[in-house]
Amino acid sequence: MTQPARHAAMLSISNGGPNAVAVDKQQSQHIHTQSQSSQGLRVPSNRKTIYDRHLNRSRSAELSRASFAFLFAEMVTYAQRRVTGIQDLERRLNEQGYPLGLRLLDLLYYRTMASSTSSSLSSSSTSAAPPNRPLRILPLLHLIHGPLWRLLFNRPADALEHSVSPETPNEYMITDNDPLVNTYISVPKEMSMLNCAAFVAGIIEGVCDGCGFEAKVTAHNQPTEMWPGRTIFLLRFGESVMEREKVLERAGVK
Amino acid sequence: MSSATKASRIGEELWKTRVDKVNAELVTLTYGTIVAQLCQDYDGNYQEVNKQLEKMGYNIGMRLIEDFLAKSNVGRCANFRETADMISKVGFRIFLNIAPTVTNWTSDNNQFSLIFDENPLADFVELPDDGRAQDELWFSNILCGVLRGALEMVQMQIEAHFVSDVLRGDDTTEMRVSLVRYIEDEMPPDEE
Amino acid sequence: MVVYSFYIFDRHAECIYKRRWLPRPASMVGSKSSRPTSEASAPGLPATLGQSARTTDDDAKLIFGTVFSLRNMARKLGGEDDNFVTYRTSQYKLHYYETPTNIKFVMLTDLKSPSMRVALQQIYINLYVEYVVKNPLSPAEHPGGIGVNNELFEESLEQFVTRVLS
Repeated sequence: MTQPARHAAMLSISNGGPNAVAVDKQQSQHIHTQSQSSQGLRVPSNRKTIYDRHLNRSRSAELSRASFAFLFAEMVTYAQRRVTGIQDLERRLNEQGYPLGLRLLDLLYYRTMASSTSSSLSSSSTSAAPPNRPLRILPLLHLIHGPLWRLLFNRPADALEHSVSPETPNEYMITDNDPLVNTYISVPKEMSMLNCAAFVAGIIEGVCDGCGFEAKVTAHNQPTEMWPGRTIFLLRFGESVMEREKVLERAGVK
Repeated sequence: MSSATKASRIGEELWKTRVDKVNAELVTLTYGTIVAQLCQDYDGNYQEVNKQLEKMGYNIGMRLIEDFLAKSNVGRCANFRETADMISKVGFRIFLNIAPTVTNWTSDNNQFSLIFDENPLADFVELPDDGRAQDELWFSNILCGVLRGALEMVQMQIEAHFVSDVLRGDDTTEMRVSLVRYIEDEMPPDEE
Repeated sequence: MVVYSFYIFDRHAECIYKRRWLPRPASMVGSKSSRPTSEASAPGLPATLGQSARTTDDDAKLIFGTVFSLRNMARKLGGEDDNFVTYRTSQYKLHYYETPTNIKFVMLTDLKSPSMRVALQQIYINLYVEYVVKNPLSPAEHPGGIGVNNELFEESLEQFVTRVLS
């Protein structure tokens, strides 16, 4: 399946799906149409709807980590029932994370727009870049490494690297030394390749795609003595992205 | 001190001191993708989605009760009224940081309602405008299963279902919980 | 003190985990006193406790029957909330902890051992709940012990018994 097709498919699910994140201006037009057509829905007389609550009300809200672990566990169990092997399971977890990435991207945009312009997407670029949609790969990666990770896990990711191989200039790596989603997972030996952080890989993929960067993202175990759960998220950007990157570089776009 | 006040205090104290936290939106959105995935897998058959959510909740409840007991170190409840306070003021507090109101008891003390003013699972949610979801889907149905699974593990067979949901346009979100019976200990298998 | 063995029974009266630590023969004990060596139990291994050659499966059944009866007797005599904590013979001490979900933790130690009730509770709270209950790859229940014998749980149990308890 080609990447753009998948993006389109997921969007249509998010329209019809029961869990629509409120819309911000940067989102594409057809979601707007959707929110207007939803006048057919009944609303409580006290108007407790998503449109009447501030989108930031849950910004610093917390829930139990165990609740997340239990939900995630059920997601893995449910996915396991419908798959043929480890790769299939990871693909399925990736697919479940993907729409989350699209939604989180909206939330990130909304919040970086709402807060002052000083909250740049990239911690390294001091050139007060307005928090717009990233155009180049590097600002996108910083968006993932910093704000996305902080939103999800309350801390930035642990490392961000570019592939050193000249063969694969389109490969980037984001490291998490101790992924939250794997906290309680003890992978049996016969499944040692499995990394349930494939779910997070799917989230990253959703964010990339939502920004217009076609990419494949996978999660890999890279344990060290100190960090037995260390996971590398490998981002492989598509050819079209790499070509555009060259054009933008020549044009001096950052 | 009433059992409700006592339970409230235990719940607050545990939430503050013993509960590891995560960003609420991660939980909310993860639950959203689970429901969306089910709606997709079951092709918009919301009755089936409700059923699956209840099953998932049941599985979660069986695990969650152990975490509940490990954290709270509370003993057996003296009666079902005490159980209701424990569920609302301690259980919901430490797992979802809410405490739904316990009300509408039947005279035999075997049935009550939980009224949810807040429901973190449904933050960000609007049901699909397909003319059916608001009549058929119980978005938070997983919670019914959680109660059934958790209470079964502490020897109570119960039945729980939602009777209203603000997502459906109702003014309240209400779950009805009924005690079916207390479960006897299972005996060891006969020696052969 | 020496920990001889450890068992978990679930609410269906099934043994979902068993582990035996073999004490070293007296001649090899030496300076490190009676620290148990850890050898995972294999079914069919002769029991070192007493002279019997029962399998651990048989032991588990016997132990379950014993604690089940003792616990019921304790409740009959002492009221619904009463429970037995430990019993001792001339050879060993059996320690017992039961959760409200009817999971039963049993540990056999030598006679010198202090009460293991808190230790068993810690195993439940810090090891069983964290590494078995919350592990998505373990099923919610454990027929035949599936999912309990995962690496995280076993390693931490090993550490707990060899480093903390002895």
